[in-house]
Amino acid sequence: MENADVFLGLQDFLERMRQPSAADFVKSIKSFIVSFSNNAPDPERDSAAVQSFLANMEADFRAHPLWAGCSEEELDSAGEGLEKYVMTKLFTRVFASLPDDVKHDEQLSEKMALIQQFVRPENLDIKPNFQNETSWLLAQKELQKINMYKAPRDKLVCILNCCKVINNLLLNASIASNENPPGADEFLPVLIYVTIKANPPQLHSNLLYIQRYRRQSRLVAEAAYFFTNMLSAESFISSIDAKALSMEETEFEKNMEFARALLSGLSTDVDGLSSQIDQIAGHDPGESTESRHKTLKEDHLVQPKSLETKPSNKEDQLSITKIPSISELENRGAAMLLKEDQTSKVFRDYPYLFAHAGDLTISDVEDLLNNYKQLVFKYVSLLKGSGGGSATFPSSGSLAQAHHHVETVKESAENRVLEQNIGLPKDTDTVDDGPNRVSNQENIESDFSKDEVVPPSKDNHDDTSE
Amino acid sequence: MGCSSSLPDRSAGRLSGLNNAENSGVPDAKNLRVKLVLLGDSGVGKSCIVLRFVRGQFDPTSKVVTVGASFLSQTIALQDSTTVKFEIWDTAGQERYAALAPLYYRGAGVAVIVYDITSPESFTKAQYWVKELQKHGSPDIVMALVGNKADLHENREVPVQDGIDYAEKNGMFFIETSAKTADNINQLFEEIAKRLPRPSSS
Ligand SMILES: Nc1nc2c(ncn2[C@@H]2O[C@H](COP(=O)(O)OP(=O)(O)O)[C@@H](O)[C@H]2O)c(=O)[nH]1
Ligand SMILES: [Mg+2]
Repeated sequence: MENADVFLGLQDFLERMRQPSAADFVKSIKSFIVSFSNNAPDPERDSAAVQSFLANMEADFRAHPLWAGCSEEELDSAGEGLEKYVMTKLFTRVFASLPDDVKHDEQLSEKMALIQQFVRPENLDIKPNFQNETSWLLAQKELQKINMYKAPRDKLVCILNCCKVINNLLLNASIASNENPPGADEFLPVLIYVTIKANPPQLHSNLLYIQRYRRQSRLVAEAAYFFTNMLSAESFISSIDAKALSMEETEFEKNMEFARALLSGLSTDVDGLSSQIDQIAGHDPGESTESRHKTLKEDHLVQPKSLETKPSNKEDQLSITKIPSISELENRGAAMLLKEDQTSKVFRDYPYLFAHAGDLTISDVEDLLNNYKQLVFKYVSLLKGSGGGSATFPSSGSLAQAHHHVETVKESAENRVLEQNIGLPKDTDTVDDGPNRVSNQENIESDFSKDEVVPPSKDNHDDTSE
Repeated sequence: MGCSSSLPDRSAGRLSGLNNAENSGVPDAKNLRVKLVLLGDSGVGKSCIVLRFVRGQFDPTSKVVTVGASFLSQTIALQDSTTVKFEIWDTAGQERYAALAPLYYRGAGVAVIVYDITSPESFTKAQYWVKELQKHGSPDIVMALVGNKADLHENREVPVQDGIDYAEKNGMFFIETSAKTADNINQLFEEIAKRLPRPSSS
């Protein structure tokens, strides 16, 4: 039931918990949550404890007069409500609670930040007729919402929505080119590509968290399949090397180094070179042409710095504001190039750089055009990513604000419900300190769009066997 | 090109009227639910086989296609009035993704390993999967070896006997199919269904 309205489910659940006859349930839920504060984190044990607690409670609900005569859906929704309530309360205790997991997240994120700079769809066996970078940005957005939620089910839905978007895009492409509906050969490579480009925050911890705390009996069938694909994408990305991308070792290393230089340039302070900035004043960041997908693209370039950081880590947030301007970067790079005596080697990858018009044939046009588009895209993205021209997108800016507002309202309404109704002790309350704030600001779209893309549900494919 | 372009699929053995039993999604002795993983080289016809099977009772424009072919499910009824719901997990066949397969076959009750009878390399790859599953798969997994594209007999490069022999040696079910003509597609799944371990009724 991935598309049940869980907010309503939660309300309904809390409603019932307020009934006098639910006093025993309330007591056991409270004491279960409190019991967690007495122990150091132990994922295996904690996960087993939560799973069996949820299972037992659900069985008790089923037998209790409060749910007498209720449908399976209502019971299911109560189970969802319980899961969401309990896990929201336990979130800070069990999410990314081990130093190893935190480290793993950082390493994975760093790797994606580097690889996203140079990976091409071909490197992953994405066929040309399925390549559609602009539309994939929508899928990336879905993944990037993952830290806006605390409940395992909500995080899972972000993943499922991402997969759904990809599936729809592939399906449209396959219909357009009169091919079979997309299978795993088509789907997995795009999911991996989208994941690398999205660099979703704390990916490793999020996946472990879903695996451990999403009620096992609900992580089945289609949800299990797409979740497995996400695990599989994570595993692939963790071990990406030259071979995995069909690159020469040296080419891969060179790309990684270049990406490192680019990223460190984006995040460190400018040095003495800053005096030369004005030389290339023609490149005003504000002059770029606007378009929707460029705004979107910008996000994933900035994101390695912003989204990946742990919510509590405010200092990292600040460093974004110190990004040097694009012309500063350019000057620094040019100075570095001039110092190198192997400059011609660097440009070997750009075959047209030293070409004369007379050398070109008509067949080079497509290649050139592609090169040009990539360059423009990259350049504009970099401009945006380095903080330039932030005021040039008024429409999407106010949109972001509006949505942010909506989200905050919804979140706090939900939180109020969470607090009022069972009235848990303040110290176990984790609702306000979660990742929501940080990611709310980062995400342009509201979480209501969770419903725009209907997540895969059991009902969908049950239809197939009628 | 799509694989739904040929003959309508009305092979014998398909039974109807089986949707009621599986609505609850709760498996019991009469209504099994089984995870089936598809393995095999890219291009051998895995997607076509599944689409053929799942669309079987429908016209080819069935809404099944609206969800893609990477995950599909289909329920069949057997003579003994039990039903089996197959949850079919497709895997990416490209070499660079081979190492990810364990994530997919973990917990699978059935593995269907497909090769293309016109491609000896795909037969070799199928044998690789059999060995891998014998080493790392669950010990009671039901394995089926499928030689697909049987309609292309004039281009055949893997003799039927090779498939039969290899399957027999490894205790697997073997069948040659054509997703194009629908030949043996339903039989494949029915035979698998019959071979599933039944939970002792309680
Ligand atoms: N002649 C013939 N072609 C087939 C058959 N099954 C699949 N194909 C074709 O083989 C190609 C690959 O099929 P597909 O199902 O995508 O393979 P997959 O990569 O294993 O999923 C497609 O062009 C299909 O039309 C078959 O039984 N006979
Ligand atoms: Mg396929």
